[in-house]
Amino acid sequence: MTQNDKIAMRMEGITKRFPGVLANDRISLECRKGEVLGLLGENGAGKTTLMNILYGLHQPDSGKIFINGKQVTIESPAKAIELGIGMVHQHFKLVDTLTALENVILGIPSEHPLVLDLAPARKRFLALCEEYDLYVDPSVEVWRLSVGKQQWLEILKALYRDARLLVLDEPSAVLTPAEGEQLFKAIRKLTAEERSVIFISHKFGEVLEITDRITVIRDGHVVGTVPTKEATYPELARMMVGRPVAMDRKSRPLAAKKDPILVMENVEAMSDRGLPALKNINLTLHPGEIVGVAGVDGNGQLELAECIVGMRKRTSGTIRIQGLNVDHVMDDPSFVGYIPADRQKVGLFLALTVAENLIVKDYYKAPFARKSVLRYSAIRQHAKDLIKDYNIKTPSGEVEVANLSGGNQQKVVIARELSDQPAPVVASQATRGLDLGAVESVHNFLLAERERGAAVLFISTELQEVMSLSDRIIVMFRGEVMGEVDGNTADVDTIGQMMLGETAEVSA
Amino acid sequence: MSPDMIIDWLQATLRWGAPLILVAMGEVFAERSGIINVGIEGIMLTGALAGIAVSFFTGNVFLASIGTMLLGALLGLGVAYLTVSRRTNQVVTGLMVNLAALGGTNLLFALLSESRHERVATFPLLFPASFSEIPVIGPILFRQPVSTWFALILPFFAAYFLYRTDWGLNVRAVGDNPKAAATAGLPVIKLKYEAVILSGIFAALGGAALTLSEVGYFASGGMTAGRGFVVLAAVVVGGWDPVRVALACLVFGAADAAQLRMQAMGSTIPYQFLQMLPYVITLIALAGLVGRTRAPKTWGAPYDPADI
Amino acid sequence: MKNEKQPRFLSLPGIGDLALSGVRPLIGISLGLLAGAVLIAISGVNPFTAYVAMLQGALGSPQAIANVLVRASPLLLGGVGVALGIKAGLWNVGIEGYMYAGAIGATWVGIAALPVSPLVHITLAILAAGVVAVIWGVAPAYLRAYRGVNEVISTIMMNYVAIFLVSYLVHEPQPMAEPGSFFPMSLQLAPTARLPILLRGSSLHPGFIIGLAACILFYLILRFTPFGFRTRMLGVNPVGSRYAGVNVKRQILFVLLIGALAGGVAGAVEVMGLKGRLYMDFVAGVGYESVAVALLAAGNPLGVIASALFFAALKAGGATMSIQTGVGGPMTIIIEALCVIFVIGVGYSERKRLTRADKAVKGDEEVKHNVA
Repeated sequence: MTQNDKIAMRMEGITKRFPGVLANDRISLECRKGEVLGLLGENGAGKTTLMNILYGLHQPDSGKIFINGKQVTIESPAKAIELGIGMVHQHFKLVDTLTALENVILGIPSEHPLVLDLAPARKRFLALCEEYDLYVDPSVEVWRLSVGKQQWLEILKALYRDARLLVLDEPSAVLTPAEGEQLFKAIRKLTAEERSVIFISHKFGEVLEITDRITVIRDGHVVGTVPTKEATYPELARMMVGRPVAMDRKSRPLAAKKDPILVMENVEAMSDRGLPALKNINLTLHPGEIVGVAGVDGNGQLELAECIVGMRKRTSGTIRIQGLNVDHVMDDPSFVGYIPADRQKVGLFLALTVAENLIVKDYYKAPFARKSVLRYSAIRQHAKDLIKDYNIKTPSGEVEVANLSGGNQQKVVIARELSDQPAPVVASQATRGLDLGAVESVHNFLLAERERGAAVLFISTELQEVMSLSDRIIVMFRGEVMGEVDGNTADVDTIGQMMLGETAEVSA
Repeated sequence: MSPDMIIDWLQATLRWGAPLILVAMGEVFAERSGIINVGIEGIMLTGALAGIAVSFFTGNVFLASIGTMLLGALLGLGVAYLTVSRRTNQVVTGLMVNLAALGGTNLLFALLSESRHERVATFPLLFPASFSEIPVIGPILFRQPVSTWFALILPFFAAYFLYRTDWGLNVRAVGDNPKAAATAGLPVIKLKYEAVILSGIFAALGGAALTLSEVGYFASGGMTAGRGFVVLAAVVVGGWDPVRVALACLVFGAADAAQLRMQAMGSTIPYQFLQMLPYVITLIALAGLVGRTRAPKTWGAPYDPADI
Repeated sequence: MKNEKQPRFLSLPGIGDLALSGVRPLIGISLGLLAGAVLIAISGVNPFTAYVAMLQGALGSPQAIANVLVRASPLLLGGVGVALGIKAGLWNVGIEGYMYAGAIGATWVGIAALPVSPLVHITLAILAAGVVAVIWGVAPAYLRAYRGVNEVISTIMMNYVAIFLVSYLVHEPQPMAEPGSFFPMSLQLAPTARLPILLRGSSLHPGFIIGLAACILFYLILRFTPFGFRTRMLGVNPVGSRYAGVNVKRQILFVLLIGALAGGVAGAVEVMGLKGRLYMDFVAGVGYESVAVALLAAGNPLGVIASALFFAALKAGGATMSIQTGVGGPMTIIIEALCVIFVIGVGYSERKRLTRADKAVKGDEEVKHNVA
């Protein structure tokens, strides 16, 4: 029983489905009082969903949650707050236009409904700032704060509500090294007060430094839990990325070096939020090779792909495709085969038919349009051919793409992008969320492109498939290429370290 | 232009501006919560008729105000159900409410034919009539009914509520970032309902102020004559800030008063350009040509609670 | 799969799926008519008698049908202008303003006594209407396309500006104004600029033919031209459109301007076919009704034909109903509004469609995890 008293939070058999994804599959874990529990896993492994369930933002389809030994139903964030749970989301949940202090007290009823007296709140807030050595100016509007300060603010917001269990989702992603140190000091202080912290990350170094135990999640289920003292880097890496990588690499001769298809020189670009997303990228793609891009999601892969297909403006550098400047190439988007990462939001038109989706880049060209009139006979025939060639399972070409399964939706994108035989092919997260059979066929389509002599840039966060498919692998971290390895001799440790931006010091 | 004419014009500015301010103070909260209630024109029209009707049957202006506000709350509830819960297009919903209100008031007014063009009990003056003997400010300020004074004070209360109470803070948070507000434990849907209902209440009251302040009767059809849309314009021009919105209402009221005077005098100056003024200024404000108007971040967008 | 939550849908099972299959407008209209019946009953008239009278008023005689067609003319043109916008994901609610602007152009050319044949004069007047309306549409269309300004509010503002501009132009001493008239109005259109009457004893003019032609033309454009295909792409997925190489901004501009053109022609037809001159409230509210018409048709140009005729029949029949049964005339407007409110209120939001689409994807996932 005394053992039970020490458990701050326990989850049992949590299962959560979303349309299209089994996000959490019978997950069980516990967090003790005064401990830092590390939650380690790739992006999309289901960590964030699990924590959203804990915070009442999602309801689990099945499973139980215990707080301090009592079973609870957390139907809303308000309830979670009441239970002493605080959460700092990866994407901050702050109202930009309100001041720091207003954000802190948001949702806490003041003593008198008609008087919003900020003075006591300010005093208490400043006391918290001092206590944990995390200073934020209370009267500044949030949009003026640096991301680091916004992180402090989120933590202070939770502490202001006296959180006994604090969940930090990828806290250090936005912090400078010095701020990271500050954060760790604060976390140690919290645990000294018998508060518990769940620390979500995919940075091995800091997880090993700050946590007491580590639970690893992959593909929506728990792989295992280890005490941090006994954990080793390679073991964690294998748990996180999957089976020890022993792939059946298909034997294939390296293509003879010919003129490069794609050349990027000193390319830099901004993210949508106006922050530098690509730094000094140099990359050359030759015909008949697959170049893998490994890296944790959000380290510049999206921007890299969009620069190549001309959807994003470069701030400097040049991109040449078959010797032509990309800016001139892009008047015709079918010049580059592009499989975008988000197929439903970018790659497909769900309310249009399969046949229509297959021509969205070519609809104005012969044979689909002649004399400014769409020729449906040609469009239908084209759809028939591609449905057969790419083995798309659909009743006909006249069905809305929305009605197809994920794998077949992706095949529609692939058929459209590859059937014109473009010289460069950019495939971004091309297998995300697909079943094994569909993954296999996507891989085969890309290998066929390689045989044909196309230059394929294969971007994926799944290290395993990058390693099994690529001739060369580059690793991206914070918008930079950390290094390049040969696909035949690559090992998961080297790449894993580069993915985490920890090149030299953490060698197991 | 004689001083008398200017005094008369300023007096009318307040009189025409007051109903606009009343309506606008509700709309500010609705739009701050992210919902554009385009139905205020129709609700205002309904309020104008309801005010007259209740006043006619009870002879009591106070009861008329209460009854009108209740009706406004009910209509606001309807708009809130459609736009918040059913997530219908806010503008189309509002336009249909306006259409229904136009038909409804005409229909009911025909039934209430006995009260047609009969003057009913109106809002009394706030100050003794002797005050209006004071030169200049007397006729401008003290010949105004209670409703005008209420409208002049209301923006400050509205500003207080918006910036200095829990509820105001919550409404602002909901309009700018409903997801963050939900994460902080706020009942987003409920707050939106409350804000939209408030806009209904004040739109109805503004309508009543139109009929019960001076005119004292309801004119079938175009009683509100697009004033609801003038309010929508004022809210944009005033940058969603109660006091600035109220000032915009007064400016538009001044244009309205000037325009009416010019028409009455048979002036050759084209008064229609004064009538256009609110809409043209709003277009300029929307285009961001004068300063930077910062709309609530989810202005006019539906909110789906399942979408975290 | 079993614990899949039923979509919240007024907690009436089954209706949600019906709505998806396109029956939605019919359900909404039925509910609207039903609610109208309740109101008619409350006002002391047998709703059945009233609706029969309405039906007779709309379809009971050639003159009645002619009347419906006359009323349908501006709704067809205005409705199809809004519909094109809906297909592109835009709310072009500026039709009222385009009608006024177009009418200004048509009147300008129409009042001139030109030494030309009616055909030429009419063509010139309609052309002028189109030009003025498109110019009128440039400001909100540009602001939406290139500066991201909400087109809904800006077009409404433009509507009022247009109305007051007309008011200015028909007042003396403007050259267009009829001198000495009690009610401000423009000069009468020259006989050569009037649309011919097609049926004696009625005011049936060829406006509805122009409207029908526009609906069919817009349908063909949407279905059979690259421009129409781009428009539908834009409406379905703006991000994807950009990715597929569509110049999204230019497309938005064109779609809104074409809507303005349709609205302008609607205004011209109303002046040249029915009113014979321009005055301030010459189409009061028809522009907003066009929005309702397009909404009821879910943006489908062929559907616009049906819903415009329905609205016109409601208005024409409503007048008869009012005379024969004593139901107040404005009841028609209320029924109109109720029908639309029920149609949009009963509506399934677009995201539910996507959710349904996602369910199809789910199958894959389960396989994945069963294997793993």
